[in-house]
Amino acid sequence: MTLKPTIPQQNWRQEMLETARYEVDRRRRGTVVLTAGISLVAVFFIALYPSFQTADIDIDQMIEAWPPAMREAFGLVTLASIEGFLAVELYNFVWVIVLGLYFAYLAAGLIADDIEGDRMDLLCSLPVSRTRVLFEKFAALVVPILAVNVVVGSLVYAGTIAIGEPIDALGLVMVHLLSIPYLLLCATIGLVFSVKFDRGDVAKRAAIAAIFALYLLDSIAGSVEEISVVQSLTPSGYYDPTAILVQETYAIGDAGVLLVATAVVLVGARVLFVRRDL
Amino acid sequence: MHPIEASGLTKTYGSVLGVDSLSFHVESGEVFGFLGPNGAGKTTFIRLLLGLISPTSGTAAVLGADVREEAALIEAKRRVGYLPANLGFDPGATGEDVLDYHGAVKGDSRRQDLLAMFSPPIDRPIREYSTGNKQMLGLVQAFMHDPDLVIMDEPTSGLDPLKQERFHEFIRAERDRGTTVFFSSHVLSEVRRVCDRVGILREGSLVALEDIDTLLAQGGKRVHLRAAEDVHDRVRSLDGVFDLDTVGHELHFTYAGGYNELLDRLASFEILDIEITEPPLEDVFMHYYGDDTETDDPATKLEAGDA
Repeated sequence: MTLKPTIPQQNWRQEMLETARYEVDRRRRGTVVLTAGISLVAVFFIALYPSFQTADIDIDQMIEAWPPAMREAFGLVTLASIEGFLAVELYNFVWVIVLGLYFAYLAAGLIADDIEGDRMDLLCSLPVSRTRVLFEKFAALVVPILAVNVVVGSLVYAGTIAIGEPIDALGLVMVHLLSIPYLLLCATIGLVFSVKFDRGDVAKRAAIAAIFALYLLDSIAGSVEEISVVQSLTPSGYYDPTAILVQETYAIGDAGVLLVATAVVLVGARVLFVRRDL
Repeated sequence: MHPIEASGLTKTYGSVLGVDSLSFHVESGEVFGFLGPNGAGKTTFIRLLLGLISPTSGTAAVLGADVREEAALIEAKRRVGYLPANLGFDPGATGEDVLDYHGAVKGDSRRQDLLAMFSPPIDRPIREYSTGNKQMLGLVQAFMHDPDLVIMDEPTSGLDPLKQERFHEFIRAERDRGTTVFFSSHVLSEVRRVCDRVGILREGSLVALEDIDTLLAQGGKRVHLRAAEDVHDRVRSLDGVFDLDTVGHELHFTYAGGYNELLDRLASFEILDIEITEPPLEDVFMHYYGDDTETDDPATKLEAGDA
């Protein structure tokens, strides 16, 4: 047997985020489509607002007449200001529900899709720890989360100026900034299903069901005093766009709770992933 | 230190046995063929080696690293190439994307040479790849960091005969460079062509571990003779004759005894024609499988694969 010449080690130690980078590249198109889609929705609501405001009805009086449970579920306080309007239509609906579900769905595919598509064997044959694979794949989701917040946030700011109803800048920044921990937690919950199930579809469906159930729980608990404590067990209980935009209360502590919960769930997902057979 | 060393390696899935207390090693610089029909446990063994699944009991070492120790195994994996049986890539990625990623993680000093030999269309998205193209991309990534040990699960599946031949040549050249190659196969002709040693796996257990030549020798000789008279009974009574098949005065049988005894017996016959050949590896293989009616007929699962 001839001995092989020793090849000098590559500078692998300096290159630490290949997996995250690769994942971000793979998701580039999805990120663009998502950002464009949500941007369209935002533009639509902003364009709608002037006609809403000039309508010859007292919209807030109408809201008063709604059952409290409905108001609670949609975060309805006022539709008579651009902040109140967007809090309901864009942030309570699109951010809390649509994006919450979407990022849970995306995260639920991170591991399970690779297992189902026979990619995980090859990925885990690389000199990379499972922890790193998991965390880098998850980290790649930060890019679409940031992209949609930065782009749509800027668009809302410019759009409200364009219709002559400039939104409060600090409130706008906070409603986006504080949504990030919320979306991260939704994604981590999706990730747990992703490491638990071998089939992407199953993991994604379970993740969507879980996030939606948590949201419903939050809504119900919000309108029934006796069980209002349950709200503190739901992610959406810690992110309230209406409070941020209308009441201008920035619950930094709640965001902290979401970040801690994200870290805890992430560690849980890691334990499951490292221990399991692939 | 052996590149691969299994000691009492066992993996059970509930009540289903994957592999059963495998103990053997692969020598440095050899081409080792791991042979068995589908479901015998070949893939389970390989996935244990890579730490994708953890052993129920026993262990194995890859380039000295215990497969149960993730950190040690990761270090070893820098010098290991792997080609899985079911090769999955992101359909939207191009071959180049995948190789760039793998290269960034484990190195790609031989990428260009390999792409000259196996030529997947690396600038096209993988969803457009044929099975053969995917397999070639898999081969390039398995060897591109110039590993000391390459583990392959059914490496030639999906390759056309020409590429298979190129692959076999390549494997021999790799061995000459000092690379240790371990691969599983159910294609006997391939194992025979490129392997130095083979292990035969049956229902999770190693039933043979031999030099390929020894294995062939153990299988006896195939004898085909045409006699002028009925010699069936006289041949059958000879020690070492089995699988005797007689049609008229033509006889086929496998003979495991010494040549002299055979020739002594045959000398008393009026023989019109005789041919003594090495048995096909399939027949040798059948000896390890043929006596158990519980197993599915391995002949249906094993391909002669004379490509």
